Amino acid sequence: MRAMPKDLAGGEQGQQSRFPPAIRFDRVSKSFASAGGRAAVLALQDISFTVEPATFVALLGPSGCGKTTILRLADGLIRGDTGKVEVFGAPPKPGPNIGFVFQTFRLIPWASVQDNVEFALKGPLFSQAERRERANRHLELVGLAEFRHAYPGELSGGMKQRVALARALATEPDILLMDEPFASIDAQTRELMRIELMRIWTDRRPVVLFVTHSVDEAIILADRILLLSPRPGRTVKTIEVELERPRWAYDARAEPRYVELRSFLSERMRELVLSDPSSEFYGRDLAPPADR
Amino acid sequence: MIWVYRLGFLALLVVLWILAAQQFGRNVVPTPLATFEAAQRLIAEGRLLSALGASLTVYLSGYALAIVCAIPVGVVMGGFRILGKTLEIYVFALAATPRVAFIPLIIVIMGLGVDAKVFIIFLGALMPILINTYAGVLAVDDELVEMARSVGSSRQRIFISIVLPSAVPFVVAGMRLGATIGLINTVVAELYTAVSGLGGLLAIYGNTFRMAEYFVVVITLAMVGVVVTEVLRHFETRLARWRGAN
Ligand SMILES: Nc1ncnc2c1ncn2[C@@H]1O[C@H](COP(=O)(O)OP(=O)(O)OP(=O)(O)O)[C@@H](O)[C@H]1O
Ligand SMILES: [Mg+2]
Repeated sequence: MRAMPKDLAGGEQGQQSRFPPAIRFDRVSKSFASAGGRAAVLALQDISFTVEPATFVALLGPSGCGKTTILRLADGLIRGDTGKVEVFGAPPKPGPNIGFVFQTFRLIPWASVQDNVEFALKGPLFSQAERRERANRHLELVGLAEFRHAYPGELSGGMKQRVALARALATEPDILLMDEPFASIDAQTRELMRIELMRIWTDRRPVVLFVTHSVDEAIILADRILLLSPRPGRTVKTIEVELERPRWAYDARAEPRYVELRSFLSERMRELVLSDPSSEFYGRDLAPPADR
Repeated sequence: MIWVYRLGFLALLVVLWILAAQQFGRNVVPTPLATFEAAQRLIAEGRLLSALGASLTVYLSGYALAIVCAIPVGVVMGGFRILGKTLEIYVFALAATPRVAFIPLIIVIMGLGVDAKVFIIFLGALMPILINTYAGVLAVDDELVEMARSVGSSRQRIFISIVLPSAVPFVVAGMRLGATIGLINTVVAELYTAVSGLGGLLAIYGNTFRMAEYFVVVITLAMVGVVVTEVLRHFETRLARWRGAN
């Protein structure tokens, strides 16, 4: 949504580098006070990573390891206890420049699908006509144009998730935070949505932080995969995915590099869960899974 | 369809009524026919309608006043957490005190006239609306608020576009409760202060054992209650269109 060319973005700051990273986490820790006065839960511990502009990053990790927390920190919705979070060289501020697809959809139940999408477009940035146009365009993109007058209560889970997707895309943000955005969508539609997301990403080149449980999804979509440990979340490993783009143009799954990455990540994920004393599956002797 | 069942149940009630009239004697329980005749008489004399008018005037004044005061106070208490936390125990204490306890004080201060009646009704209807509004504002979905924050909404806009709409069902539920309590308090006020309105007729006919007329008044009161709650129900379903047909 920003008019200025990407290679100038943040150039005015120009301290350390001409390209300050789009997102920077510097030894960020975050704990939550738990209800009922029990001890605080340490959700994230010393998380550090940087994301350059126009990069697609997948966050992969077991349930409860703090993936959602990372996205909320990156949007500026919450602050870390220690460390520093920066977006384009400044503390993040929620707004139309950062799109957030929430894990739990978070649609306004008394507003129509159209109004839900336009909710993200309120403010001085967009004229009434532009709001309409953008909402319609993005509802079309997620295949819900016919449902623009429906209420969220009348939609299936997958449809709600697509409305949430349209809402986050509608401002055409420079940063997209996506919390398992395809988890409730059926397999066929998910495939289409992935392709649409890749198209958008190829066009507009936003930075994407994409949370997923699926190793395949991470490899197919991302430039880089951050593997997180069980709670408290730490970055265990950063993996560059060097598969040629656009990946929908050929069968990436058949590439040796893909197969290698996939078995490596699956193995590490299983290890992480099985070696986590607080996991329900701690110490279980599970054979490696056969190919899905 | 539901109306068929409702009318069926009404027929059952009338049958029970006839049986009761036979059982207890007409002097205690008048027959439906005698009640109907009494109603015709009261309407022809104009007594029923003028009493109804007097009652509705104080009832609706007190009730409207309660709505106008309770909703803003509830909203402000919910919007400013510290204020809400400070005041809530007093509100709950007042809500738990039987409002009848205040009637002697009200009479001493305000006399026996219309003002006192309106105030008694106001006091009864106020608390349920206030407490429900307050609860409704507090019950807002934090995830929706965070969503609104993430698109860059100001605090004001979040309050207006998320918090207030989500409180509406609570407010309307409070208004329905307030309407019922207000009606009860209307009769109480008319009995305790200057005798007037439907409450007044109730006292007169009750004390003189004119049971047919007495029944007419009771049925009129019940009908007022039904009309008011039905109007509010209608209002509620219109506001909640988005809930869908289920
Ligand atoms: N608001 C909160 N209050 C208390 N604890 C919280 C809160 N938010 C998160 N937590 C805790 O922080 C940890 C990380 O939560 P988070 O939601 O970031 O996990 P996640 O990786 O997104 O999990 P999932 O994959 O299941 O969505 C969890 O253990 C959770 O219990
Ligand atoms: Mg999560």
